[in-house]
This record gives sequence, C-alpha cells and structure tokens, in this order.
Amino acid sequence: MSIKKAINDFFGRVARLLKGGGDEALEKQKKQGKLSARERLDGILDPGSLFETDMFVEHSSTDFGMDSKKLAGDGVVTGFGMVDGRPVSIFAQDFTVAGGSLGRAHAGKIVKIMDASMARRIPLIGINDSGGARIQEGVDSLCGYGDIFYRNTMLSGVVPQLSLILGPCAGGAVYSPALTDFVFVVNKVSNMFITGPQVIKAVLGEEISQEELGGAMTQASITGNAHFYAESEYEAFDQIRKLLSFLPSNCLEPTPEHKPVDPSRPLKDNVIPEDRRKAFDVHDVIRGIVDGSDFLEVHRHYAGNIVVGFGRLAGRTVGIIANQPRVLAGVLDVNASDKAARFIRFCDAFSIPLLTFVDTPGYLPGVDQEHSGVIRHGAKLLYAYSEALVPKLTVIMRKAYGGAYIAMCSRHLGADFVIAWPTAEIAVMGSEGAANIIFRKEIMESADPDATRAEKVKEYETKFANPYVAASRGYVDMICPPGETRKALLNAMEYAGGTDPGNSFRRHGNIPL
Amino acid sequence: MASKLVIDDTGYETEIPENSLKLGRPPADPEIIKAFIPGTIVAVRTKVGEKVREGDALLLLDAMKMHNEVCSTVNGVVRELLVTTGDKVEKGQLLIRLRKD
Repeated sequence: MSIKKAINDFFGRVARLLKGGGDEALEKQKKQGKLSARERLDGILDPGSLFETDMFVEHSSTDFGMDSKKLAGDGVVTGFGMVDGRPVSIFAQDFTVAGGSLGRAHAGKIVKIMDASMARRIPLIGINDSGGARIQEGVDSLCGYGDIFYRNTMLSGVVPQLSLILGPCAGGAVYSPALTDFVFVVNKVSNMFITGPQVIKAVLGEEISQEELGGAMTQASITGNAHFYAESEYEAFDQIRKLLSFLPSNCLEPTPEHKPVDPSRPLKDNVIPEDRRKAFDVHDVIRGIVDGSDFLEVHRHYAGNIVVGFGRLAGRTVGIIANQPRVLAGVLDVNASDKAARFIRFCDAFSIPLLTFVDTPGYLPGVDQEHSGVIRHGAKLLYAYSEALVPKLTVIMRKAYGGAYIAMCSRHLGADFVIAWPTAEIAVMGSEGAANIIFRKEIMESADPDATRAEKVKEYETKFANPYVAASRGYVDMICPPGETRKALLNAMEYAGGTDPGNSFRRHGNIPL
Repeated sequence: MASKLVIDDTGYETEIPENSLKLGRPPADPEIIKAFIPGTIVAVRTKVGEKVREGDALLLLDAMKMHNEVCSTVNGVVRELLVTTGDKVEKGQLLIRLRKD
C-alpha cells in the first residue's frame, strides 16, 4: 500500500469509528433527548483538548455470533483532556454501540485511563450510558466491572472521581459511580437502579415507573445517590467544571488559588430573626461570608436540614457544613448525618479546610429515626469531624444544644477555632425543656403552674442561653457579631494549623457505616 | 409549608418536607396472615378449626424458586382458610384468619 493510500485508509477508518453505532443509532440517541458520547466529551473538555486513546480497540469474543460484530471502540470513548487548563482522565460510554454494553475490551479501555489517572494523579470523569453487562461475554464482562470497582476504590482519596449518569446505569454497573466522590444526574436522562421495574413487579408485585424508581430527582432527593441534579446535560457539564474549579487535582496538591474577592452580599448583623423560634435561610449566612458570595451546593435536594458545599475564603477553597433552620428546624437526623459525614471525609482527603455553621436544636425524635439507626448514622458525623486533620473552623450562630452541639465540630472534636455570635445558646437543651425538667416539682406544686414555668424558663434562659458560659471554659475562642464574622474567619484561617497526623501505627480506623 | 416542629418542648417555625417525619409502621394484626410475596400455594398443612401453635407451618408458598413456609403468628385456632393447593396469590393477599387463645 502506498503511503497516500495507507493514510486515506486510516482516515476512512477514523471516520467510521467517529460515527459510533452509525447514523441511525445516533439519530435515535438524539430523539431520546440525549447527546452523543463525543458531544458530551466536547461539552466538558476545553475546546479541542480531547486526547483520545484506544480508538481502535475491538472485542475478541466469538460466542453467540459476536465474531461477526464490529463494535466501534467497543462502545466507549476514552482518553484525556483539559478542564480550564487542568488535565483530567475521561471516559464516555457510547449507547449507540451495542447499547454501551460493557465487555472485557470496553472495560480494559476504562481500566487503562484509570491507571493513568493514578500514575499522573489527575481527576477521573466517567460518563455512564450503558445497558449493563455484555451478556454474550459472560464472566469476562463481570471481570471488567470488578476491575473498575477495584480501581475506583484504589483511586478514592487520591484523585477526585466524578460520575455522570447520562442514560441507564443498572444492575452491578451502578457501583462504579457509587464508589466515586460525586454523582451527577440529569432530568429525564438519568436512570439508576439495581433491579428495574419489571423485575420488581415480577418478584414483589410492586408497580413503579422507571422515573419514579431511579430517575434523576429520585436519586437526588430520596436516595441521595446523586450529589448534583441538572435540567439539561449542558447544565451538568457546567456543574462539573465549576466543581473542579474548587478541587485540587490530587491529595498531594493544594487547592487551586483564586483571586480573593469580598462577598457581593456581605453579612449584616440582622441576618437572624429576633424571635429565636423563627427560622432563617442559612444560605444567606454562607453567601454573606464566602468570596464573591459564590457557593456551590452539594446534595442540594437531599436532607435539606443540613447544607454542604464549597466556597472560598481569601481565594482558597473551604468545605462548608451548615445546619439549615428553615428545614426541620435544622435538626440532625439519619440522612443529614450521612450527608455531612461523607462530605467532611471528602474534604479531609483533599486538604480542604472545614467551615461549620451551627444552629440546631438537637436530634430528630421519632420511632422512624431510632429504627432507621440514628445512633449508628449519627456516629458517622462525630467520627468524620474527629478524624479530620484539616483546619476546622466553627461558627455558632444560635442554638447549639446537647449532643448536636458536640457533633457540629465543637472544640471537643478538635475544632481549631470556635467563633460564637452574641446570639449563641450553648446548652444541654432549650430553655423550655430544661426548665420543665429541673423545676418540675416547683411548677407542679405552684398555684399558677404556667406563670412559674414561664419564670423558670426565663431564669434558665438568662443563665445558659448565651455563649458566655462556654466561652468562660474556653470552649468558645471568640465572640463576634455576624457582621464581623468574615474578618474573624480570615484571621482564624491564617492561624489554624489543623491536626498533626503524627506517626499513627494504625492501618485505618473503623468508621461506623 | 410553614409548620411547627417541637423539640424539647420548644416549638420551632420551620418547613417539614413530605415524608421526613414518617411514623413507624402500624403493628401488624397477628390474627391475619397475608402473602408477603406473590407466588403459588403448593401445600396446605392445616384445616379450619385446627388448634395451632405460634411458628407451626400452615402453608407452603412457592415464590422466587423457593418453598417458603407460612407459619402461624399466634397460639390459637384456624378460623378461616382462604386458599387451597395450586392457588396463585398476590403480594398482600389474605391467606388465613386465626383466633388467638
């Protein structure tokens, strides 16, 4: 073959491969409201930066007529690219090629870039759009999944791992995203479940639609499997790029430095209502503190009684955890504990300091909570805060009662600095409950129990519903009004050293799961 | 959705999202036995009026390729038997009524 012919032949092959499963299949993908695998890579990566690998990989299975089937790239596009000039590894399953089914060669391509992610220490982005295991390949397909899960686990805490669910992701396949740090779902596009509606109907007689069972909002709000919900694929790509702007490329690197900017909506002293029983939106506090009032919320639709996400202080990323008085009065419960604990552990793994805002009346009472294991789940929050070595700053805004006071990154769990507002109430419980217990006899025996109760509540409130008792013990380091908080935090960040890991001889702790 | 949540005798004005305060399941009535899974009755091992003890196998229900024993939930008497061998049953279908001693 002449050089020219060889080169023409090469371009012919590339042109065919770029079409994935062919025009018809691509048209079908489009009709379903989905972008193609290559459009997705283009949407996430800086223009023209895709550095594709293994385009010519083919499967070698021969059973069930597979020997006559050519599958472009074996149903997955893999490679590297840049996001805002920073390198990432990336793969996109191509549903137009044999339903994006995962065979050994397909998995081999993913494994290759995962290994490169480890060697080069760069984030991994996975786009899932697959019917599941390629059944014709039998156990080889399972081997493929296992190889990926193993690497997801080895990469955990070394580089950030992001998963987009842009199509079906069912059965065992769900466990790769589940092992990664952040999962993104898109309305009417994403679907995740272990067993689908048909199997559930056959086995248990329960009827449910695919969307209700494992659609985007289900995963974002009910299960908490997804951390980011978007209305369109392009919105999800923006979320990915935004998230990466807050994260280091690996656990050894510092977080990216941005230009420090003041909040566009600085915090005012009247951010919380006069009546301590009234709620406020903790987002207003967060946005009033962070650089440019720019806050990227994680798990926005899940366990709304706690708010977590990323912001910056003086140009450097901080992980924010805040009780949300507007939802369930900001109580801690099973889901809020899980949500915050996982976020804290991510931040600690990637050297992102923690900033905690406290206003919580305690744990949510109820049979459902107790029987759902609030003891075991609540323990995760204590564990995650205690083990975190990064600098930990805490702002007590209002209520910090009982066990929840301890759990919300108190001095006792190793906070570097605890700042309290003059409105802070650090006590074993609220004044009403405390007075009813301590003065029960007096209230019962009083000629006017209601008046006595009110008097005793007032007495307890005056004595304990403030930050000064805790400050007198040194549990609170400083007290400042809301409007001064950002300044105090910038100072605190300057002087917070975090915790020295020392020479630990233990392999790892045993977090309650 | 503004509502009130009471914690330690203090009522807080806040939003209470749907399903966030599920109460525990109501206790099941021990005198009725329902199919916990759809399947086929492959054996009936009791009859109406028979005295049974808690844990006695009363029916054999074939589901998910397994033979599942359906056992008495009380010490008492079989009051009504609503299925026979070969019946296909739905999840939640009433199978037996018992009377506690």
